[in-house]
Amino acid sequence: MTQPLHIDAVSAHYGTTKVLEDLSLSVQAGELVSLLGASGCGKTTTLRLIAGFLSPTSGSITLGGRDLTRLPTHKRDIGLVFQNYALFPHLSVLDNVAFGLKQRGIAPAERRKRAMAMLERVGLAALADRAPGALSGGQKQRVALARALVIEPPLLMFDEPLSNLDAKLRVDMRVEIRQLQRANGTTSVYVTHDQEEAFSISDRVAIMNAGRLMQFDRPEVLYRRPANTFVARFVGFENIIPFKAVARDGDVVTAETAGMRLRLSQSLFGAIPDTFLLATRPDGLTVSIEAAAEGLPARLGLRTYLGRAYQYQCETAAGHLIANGILTTPLEAGTSVKLVPVPEQCTILAPDGDE
Amino acid sequence: MTSRRFWRRSGATGWALTAPATLAVIGLLIVPIGAVIAGTFMDPRGVFAPYISYFNSGFRTTVLFRTLQISALTTIISLIFGFMTAYVVSRAPGRLKSLLIVAAVFPLLTGVVVRAFAWLIILGRNGILNQTLLALGIVNEPLEMLYTQGAVIVGMVYLFVPLMVLSLVGVLENIPKDVLQASSSLGASPMATFWQVLLPLAVPGLIVGAVLVFTGSFTAYATPQLLGGERQTVLATLLQQRAMVSFDWVGASTIATIMTVITISIVLAMSHIARRINPIAT
Amino acid sequence: MMSDRPHPILVVIAALVYLFLMVPLVIVVGAALSDTTYLTFPPQGLSLRWFENIFAISAFRRTIVTSLQIAFLGTLFALLIGIPAAYALNRFRVELPKWLGTLFVLPILVPEIVFGFALLKSLTVGAGVPIFLALLVGHTLLVLPYVVRVISASLASFDFSIEEAAISLGSAPVKTFFTIVLPNVRAGVIAAFILAFITSLNDVSVSLFLTGPGISTLPIQILAHVEQFFDPTVASVSVLLMFLTVAVMAIVERTLGLTFLAK
Repeated sequence: MTQPLHIDAVSAHYGTTKVLEDLSLSVQAGELVSLLGASGCGKTTTLRLIAGFLSPTSGSITLGGRDLTRLPTHKRDIGLVFQNYALFPHLSVLDNVAFGLKQRGIAPAERRKRAMAMLERVGLAALADRAPGALSGGQKQRVALARALVIEPPLLMFDEPLSNLDAKLRVDMRVEIRQLQRANGTTSVYVTHDQEEAFSISDRVAIMNAGRLMQFDRPEVLYRRPANTFVARFVGFENIIPFKAVARDGDVVTAETAGMRLRLSQSLFGAIPDTFLLATRPDGLTVSIEAAAEGLPARLGLRTYLGRAYQYQCETAAGHLIANGILTTPLEAGTSVKLVPVPEQCTILAPDGDE
Repeated sequence: MTSRRFWRRSGATGWALTAPATLAVIGLLIVPIGAVIAGTFMDPRGVFAPYISYFNSGFRTTVLFRTLQISALTTIISLIFGFMTAYVVSRAPGRLKSLLIVAAVFPLLTGVVVRAFAWLIILGRNGILNQTLLALGIVNEPLEMLYTQGAVIVGMVYLFVPLMVLSLVGVLENIPKDVLQASSSLGASPMATFWQVLLPLAVPGLIVGAVLVFTGSFTAYATPQLLGGERQTVLATLLQQRAMVSFDWVGASTIATIMTVITISIVLAMSHIARRINPIAT
Repeated sequence: MMSDRPHPILVVIAALVYLFLMVPLVIVVGAALSDTTYLTFPPQGLSLRWFENIFAISAFRRTIVTSLQIAFLGTLFALLIGIPAAYALNRFRVELPKWLGTLFVLPILVPEIVFGFALLKSLTVGAGVPIFLALLVGHTLLVLPYVVRVISASLASFDFSIEEAAISLGSAPVKTFFTIVLPNVRAGVIAAFILAFITSLNDVSVSLFLTGPGISTLPIQILAHVEQFFDPTVASVSVLLMFLTVAVMAIVERTLGLTFLAK
């Protein structure tokens, strides 16, 4: 019932602007994949291509063996959940949910039954005869969800479904969505700009930028082992420091950057090239006032309070870095410190930006 | 500073600013029309005497029904063709759409006389339509097209179609695009989306447009005068006759009142209905 | 959307409708240029004599002037009382009753011909007000709704916090209105002016009763002329009216562009 989705070398143009460049992506049956990126990265365009609102200039899209590329939207059998819910204002909640069933020629009594059952699953059976306008944002979104699920589509797509809800609701709803998706086992594509949202509910995440796929992998891998500087910065590796290997001793590589030497184990990082970038999060650089500490000399700038630590803007020979310091000793701007990398919190990137 | 505090006491300022316009409308529109209407009930022959006298006349009753009929037909024709045209315009690509909208606005700005007059030229005995029909051999003699109800209706439709198109384009634009996309994604073919989603959502706007056209044609003067003449007397031309030719002021006031009452009732009924079935209040 | 393109039959119908709208106007222009003494289309021979004839007829000369005067003054007065009203309706939306907005739209809801008749009865016959003044009153009120509506629409997208910022920086309220608010709704004011001017210029129903010795508007005069003479002069006057309309729009478009149509 649930099917895999294959996007093959798809490109899309708006007039003369290339919006999607040769995108290839495969979603396995039953998987929930997020398309993550800032606005303009091409994630919404990809969704619209799959849905059929847009035609690709090249490439193909197949769902479970069926070629969707030339098929009109209403024949694609895909469940869509829209950002602004897109509920039919002139129909009751129940009729909204039953709409897809009606198009498939299901008899009225059966439609009603199935729609009510789905409304019960999302906890809105009591609102069946209400007009959509009277519902809250969260309720509308659940109706939209029910409407897409009830037709039992082989593919579900979500277009930033939670961005119009407030923070607490967003967290609750994303869990509900994931639970429903898991229970049904429907292949799903989820478009969002919210990193936490994507990472928390997806089997795999595709990070996109300027119409291209930057990395496509499980959230854990993206978080710890970004493939390039774009993804690294995206997942929070604020500090990117260029290094040069100066000595190799079996497993251990000694590398050097302005003012600092570091020993890195290849069993931890994998193969380390002669020149590379060391990426760390602010947590991965500790601030030390010990002059003898093995770290990057830095001069502290503005200090901000994060609750769990202090965060310092630092000027170093390797550029502007951001490091976190412990709460017991707040340090003043102008202090000279050493920034000590924590190897377990770092990752290695190839110098041209790709791993 | 007292002027600043006065400014913040916004209610008073608001009233002060609207006062001239309010007084103008009340004093120079509502009062005079009210006087006309009230005057019809003060006839020495009896409170409703003028109205009884009006409906006792076969001719005048015919005029009323003729006016209603012309208005109804004009509205229906304008609605059908206006909606189809508006649908096409709303789906047109950007620059073409702007051009089409300007093209629809232009006739509106040329005024009633010019537009009615054009049909005078076209439908006359020596008019271009007759010339064409004769040349093509479809008829042997020129047709008498002017001063018929058909001519008046054609002139009225010509007058109101641009209005209908513009108003309906606005209505169609107001239907959220994602709702139509949702319909499509749920399996509704373009036809199904039209009948089950687009049309129902357009209905309130259609009602507004229809009422505009109906009341407009119901009270129109220049077009029926030019294209219908005395043979197709309507309420407005009858009013003018009574007032300026016969100097029958009571009669004229009666007609004015009937016209006003019917027009305002329809407008009120419309806003009531449109508000009740207006679902686009999300 | 792939299925966005309307059915070809609909496109054909729409095209025919547009043809239906445009062709008669072309015919009027053609008939005005005809070198014949009777109205005919297509024109036989081209001549401007019927345009010259307009100015030869004193009735037309007079009524053109009257129409322009009334249109200009009527629009002016409508702007004078309409702009503050529109401003108040938007700025003090909460404090003012809802029906006030409807009040200013009333002239459109009421049959024009009834309005004209009522003015004749109360002002001219009843109060002895001179015809020109009654005509002016009629036209001012006729175009008032357009002024209020257009300016209101313009103000609806106006961010009133600009005004508050100016006042907080020390600018007196009235001065702020003229230096901050008005320039920002310039487009609306100009659009309102055109719409009002053209509406007044072309009006028949209100002006119908408000004619007197020496006072009449151009459209009314055309109607009278058609009844007596069925010659191309009427066509050329119609074209003149059309031309005046386009001229007003063009003059304004120079200053502004067609942005006002995006309302």
